[in-house]
Amino acid sequence: MSYYDLDAILTDAEKVPCKFELDVPDLGYLDNNPSQGLKAQTPVSLPLWLAELLALSSRTQSSNPEDSAPFLTLEMPKALSNEVVSALKADPRAVALRDQTHNMYGLATRMLDLFEEPEMCAVLRRTFVTRAAETALHARKAGATDDVVRGEGFLSGLEEWERLLFRRAHDGNKACKEWMEGVKK
Amino acid sequence: MALPLPQGLVPTEVAFLCEMEMVTVVPRQRLESIPLLSGDTPVLRPPHRAQMPLWLALLLKKQRRANIVPPAWLHPASLADIIHHETNVDPQAFSPPPPPPTRADGRRRPSPATTHALPRPSCPRVRPMPPGGYLPYHWLELAEALLAHAADDVPATAEVRSLLRDLQEVRAAKMRGSTQSLEGGGGVVVLRGVGAMELAESRAFVLGVVDGVRKLGASAEATRRDEEANGGGGRYGGGAGGRGDFEDSDEEMEF
Repeated sequence: MSYYDLDAILTDAEKVPCKFELDVPDLGYLDNNPSQGLKAQTPVSLPLWLAELLALSSRTQSSNPEDSAPFLTLEMPKALSNEVVSALKADPRAVALRDQTHNMYGLATRMLDLFEEPEMCAVLRRTFVTRAAETALHARKAGATDDVVRGEGFLSGLEEWERLLFRRAHDGNKACKEWMEGVKK
Repeated sequence: MALPLPQGLVPTEVAFLCEMEMVTVVPRQRLESIPLLSGDTPVLRPPHRAQMPLWLALLLKKQRRANIVPPAWLHPASLADIIHHETNVDPQAFSPPPPPPTRADGRRRPSPATTHALPRPSCPRVRPMPPGGYLPYHWLELAEALLAHAADDVPATAEVRSLLRDLQEVRAAKMRGSTQSLEGGGGVVVLRGVGAMELAESRAFVLGVVDGVRKLGASAEATRRDEEANGGGGRYGGGAGGRGDFEDSDEEMEF
């Protein structure tokens, strides 16, 4: 992952729901209430880079990891909620991942680093692999036939990783086709 | 990342490498052996067949000095056999690559050193064209080149063409399906018997899928290694460093 990777930067900016463990003065505007301080346990949405830091760092000086008290607790973002995961378990192809978030898998890898969710990991892996095969099929057919309408729903639901795969598969096919047409010369 | 070149060979490069494959020709004119930097070409005497690299064969064909004998696997019956194998006998895997040449054909068994040596443009390779029923590594490029430049030497051209299209479609579908085996997290895609052009076509896609699966499973993998290190093995640094030890260790492979 490069420092200049736009997708990584956008993934960093994804909002995740979290709750502060303590009262914070002057942060009331996060809860649309600028006149008062932020109360503990108020649900707010913070960008991932900030929430991750605050959730992992300890507010006490003690170096003992046992009694570490983080500033806030993280929750799973809506894109990786139970409903979405069960929908993916039922049929990976029927879910428009892009409607959940543009960087679905990027966000998922970050969240899987923070939460231990072996089941979600397995579901996502299956989703990725199944959708990749479908993506490759559409990449091969794209431009070759007129039935754009059929694949449109699926293709507009591709998230960033899958778009990259689509582009790669399509470029490969295109290069091969170009060579095959030029072989006569 | 800095250079926009794709990973691996592009189709035109693969097609260029294919020109070093050996084909059999029937010469129409006498031609003495030509000493080239990389070796001598065979002496051509009209009724006798000779083995030569594809580039030379195509050159002589264009000058009407020779006819190319299509390889056995390019025969319609052989292609139909292969398609039958791909669709009915073994609908999951690709048809097997040709068996290594044996002593039976009068040649010595190629030692690993000779088969892996770089092919030289005009030296006869140790490996001859495979018998019918097996696809060589450069099957698609070779077939396309022969059909484009020596169509009058290939019997039943139209049939061969349509069979090749069928074969290509069947194998492309398998190529797409081959990534399904990554679901369990094994990280291995079996590509036995896949041709050079098919690899060039799908390399970026397959690598992308493998990479994505690896990234998705990275945290689970780190946990597993943690357990292994803490549990009994201690193979990964005795568990003292915890997950910090191997975090990003494979990320850095990508530059």
